Amino acid sequence: MTQAVMARHAGEPRKERSGLRPGQRVFVWGALIPIFLYLGVFAVFPMVWVVVLSFFNYSPVRIGDGPLGLGGRNPFIGLDNFAAMFADTRAGQIFRISVKNTLIFAFLVLVVNLAITLPLAVLVESVHNRVKGLFRAIYFLPTVSSAVAVAIMWGYVYHPQQGLLNNFIKLIGLTPPKAWLTDPSAFVFGVPLAMIAVIIAYVWMDFGYNLVIFIAALQGIPHELRDAAHIDGATGWSEFFHITIPLLRPTLLLVCTLTMISSFQVFVIFQVMTGGGPQNQTRSLTMEIYENAFRYQAMGWAASMSLVLFAMVLIVTLVQFRILRTDWEY
Amino acid sequence: MQRKIFVLFIVIALLAAACGAPAAAPGGTGEGKITLRLWSHQNPSFIQANETVITKFMEANPDIEVKYEQFEYDQFIQALQTSMQAGTEADVIEMFGTWVCSYARGGRLAETPLDVMSYAEAQELFFEAPLNGYYCDGKLYGLPNEFNLEVGGALVNPALFEGKDVPYPPVWNTMDELREQASRLTEFDGDIMVRAGFHFIGGDGLPFLLLEGILEQGGSYFAEDGKHFTFDTPEAIATIQLMMDMVQKDKLVDPVLFNAESNPPYDGFFAGVVAASFIGSWAAGQGLVNYPDFKFDYVNTPVLFGTERKYAADSGWGKVVSVNSKHQEAAWKLARFMTAEQENAITFNGVTGTIPALKALVENPQPVLEKAPWIEPTFKLLPYGHYIGDLTDRDKLFYEIIYPAILQALQGSMTAEQAAQTIHAQANEMVDAAR
Repeated sequence: MTQAVMARHAGEPRKERSGLRPGQRVFVWGALIPIFLYLGVFAVFPMVWVVVLSFFNYSPVRIGDGPLGLGGRNPFIGLDNFAAMFADTRAGQIFRISVKNTLIFAFLVLVVNLAITLPLAVLVESVHNRVKGLFRAIYFLPTVSSAVAVAIMWGYVYHPQQGLLNNFIKLIGLTPPKAWLTDPSAFVFGVPLAMIAVIIAYVWMDFGYNLVIFIAALQGIPHELRDAAHIDGATGWSEFFHITIPLLRPTLLLVCTLTMISSFQVFVIFQVMTGGGPQNQTRSLTMEIYENAFRYQAMGWAASMSLVLFAMVLIVTLVQFRILRTDWEY
Repeated sequence: MQRKIFVLFIVIALLAAACGAPAAAPGGTGEGKITLRLWSHQNPSFIQANETVITKFMEANPDIEVKYEQFEYDQFIQALQTSMQAGTEADVIEMFGTWVCSYARGGRLAETPLDVMSYAEAQELFFEAPLNGYYCDGKLYGLPNEFNLEVGGALVNPALFEGKDVPYPPVWNTMDELREQASRLTEFDGDIMVRAGFHFIGGDGLPFLLLEGILEQGGSYFAEDGKHFTFDTPEAIATIQLMMDMVQKDKLVDPVLFNAESNPPYDGFFAGVVAASFIGSWAAGQGLVNYPDFKFDYVNTPVLFGTERKYAADSGWGKVVSVNSKHQEAAWKLARFMTAEQENAITFNGVTGTIPALKALVENPQPVLEKAPWIEPTFKLLPYGHYIGDLTDRDKLFYEIIYPAILQALQGSMTAEQAAQTIHAQANEMVDAAR
C-alpha cells in the first residue's frame, strides 16, 4: 500500500511551497504580471506623480530642465503650495470656499440620502414580491443614467421661466424663487439655494444604489428576531428603531462610506448645472482642481489640492469606520 | 518548458502592445509623402473654412497630406497640454493669440523662420492687435487669422423690436440713446425679466467693456512696469458704475437671469429671449451656421465715454507650429498658406464671419463682405484698436477676476469701488504669483 502511494506521488509533478505546481505557478504569474503592470502604470505611478507634482510649480505648457519636465521652468517649491492654501490670497480663499462647499455637499447628501433610502427600502421590502422588482427597477433607473443628461434635465426643471418646478409652484398659488441656480442672494437655513438644488438633483440620481444595498441587507435580517420582537409586543416603529437599524449597522457603515466618497468626488453635476456659481457658492474641490489643472495649467497647485481631497476622504472614512464598526454577526 | 516560453511570449506581446507606437505614427511618411496633422477647436464655421483651405493646400502640394482633427473647446486645451508633454501634439495648431506667449515661453512652440516671415514683414501684412499676440519677447511664433474684436457691435433680433416703438435696424449714436431704446425692449412677467433689452453680461463682454471704458476716459490699466495692473482708478470705477446703472437703473438686463452661465449673450440671443446682445462679430458667423433660419443683424454700438473710440483688442485665432514637429518646413508652409495668402484668408474670414487680421482684406473689403456682410460695421472700428498687452494669463484675468467681480457689483453685492479694488488686488496677485 505504502509503495503504491509513493509510486503515485512519484508520477505527479513536484509541488512548491506555495502549493502550486510549476506549470500552475507560471500560469498565475503570466496572468498577474499584466494586471500588475496595468495598475503600476495607470494607478500607482499617477498617485506618486501627484505627490511629486505638489512640491513643484509645474505647468505642462513649460518644458522643464530635469527628468519628466521637472526643474528649470517648473521649479521645486517645497511646501509653498500647501502654505498658499492658508494665505489671504484669491487662490487661498477660493480653495477654502471649495473645501467648505464640498463638506456641506457631502454631509447634506449623506443625510438626505439616508433619510430617503432607509425608510423607502423598508417600504419596498414590505410590499408584495410581485411588485417589489418593479419598484426596485424604477428607483434604480436614474442611477444608470448619464450624469450629464441628469444635470441637463434638472437644469430644465429649475429653469426660471420655462422650468417645470417654477410652473408647478405657480400653479399651486405660491411664489417660486427668482432663480434656483443663479441667484446668489437666495439661502435656505444658511445654505445657498443653488447648492440645495444641486443636492436634490444629485440625490435623485444616486439614491438607487443605496436603496438596493439596504433592501439586500433587510432581506438578510433573520425573521426569528422580528418574530421575537412581535411576541414581546414591539410596534412597527420600535421594531424599526430597535431591531432593524441596529442590525443594519454594518450596512450603514458601507453605505455611509460609499456615499461620502462619491459625494466628495462629484464634478459633472456641478460643472453642468452651475459651473460653480453663483459667486462660487457651488464651487466644489474637484471643480477647483480641474479648473487649475486643465484650464489654467497650474498642475502643481492642482496636485496639492488633490492631496487635500485625498486626506479629507481618508479622514472621514476612518471616522465613519470608528463610529459605525461592529464586532458581531448574525 | 514550452508552456513557459508561451507565457513569456504573451507577456512580452502585451508589453509591446502597451508601450509601442501607434500603427500610423504621427507625421509618418508613406511612399515619400509627408503627413501633417492640424488641430483646432470645434466650431462648425471654423471647421468648414479650414477644410476648404486644407483641400486647396493638398491640391497645390501633392507631396503633403494634411490630417485635420478637431476637439471640443475644453478638451482641446487638455489635449494640447497632455500631448505636448508626450510630444504627440499636431504639427500645426490653431491657437488663440493670447495663449501663444505662455506656450512659446514654455518652449512648446517653434519660432517662425525668417524665410517664412520676419516680424517686419508681418507688420506690413497684419494689423497690430492680432499680430502682437504672436510676438513674444522679440520673437514671432506664428501668424494670425483673426482680429478678435469683442466690442463695438451687437446682434439684434428684428422680431423683438416689433411694436416697441424702436427703429430697426437701430442706429445708436450715443450710450444715452442705446440705454433709452433698449430699456423699451425689456419685458417682464410680474417681477421676472423674461426678455432682456440689451445683454452685455458675458465672460468677454464685461472685461472688454471695462478696458474700453478705461481707455476712452484717457486712463490705462497697466502700471508703469507694463506687467502689473491699475484697476482701482477713477476711470475703472466710472466704467463699472456705468454698467451698474444700465442694469440697476435702466433695467436693460437682469444679472441673475442673464449672465455668462445662465442665458449667456450668444445662447440667450438665439433662444429668442434677448433683443440685442453685445458680442463680437464672430457670433454672427456662428449663428448663421447654427441657426440658418433665425433672422438677425449685426449693428454698431456707440462709444462708452466721449466721442473717440478707443478699445483693447486681443489677438484672435491663428496658426502656430509645434517645436516637436518633424516636418518644420512643410508645417510652416501650411501655416503661412492658411493665414497670409489673401485668397485663403478671405475664405477663412468669410466663412467664419471673423474680422480679417490681414490689412489688405480690409483695404479691399468687397471679397470678404460678399461672404460675410455682417462684419462691415466692425471695419470702421479697426483703426482704433490697441493690442491688449501682456495680461499674464488672459483667461484667468477675464473669467476668474474681472467677470466675477463686476457681476457681483451688477447683482448688488458690491459697490463699483469695491469691485474695482477687488479686480486690482487679484489681478496684481496673479502677476506676482506667475513670477
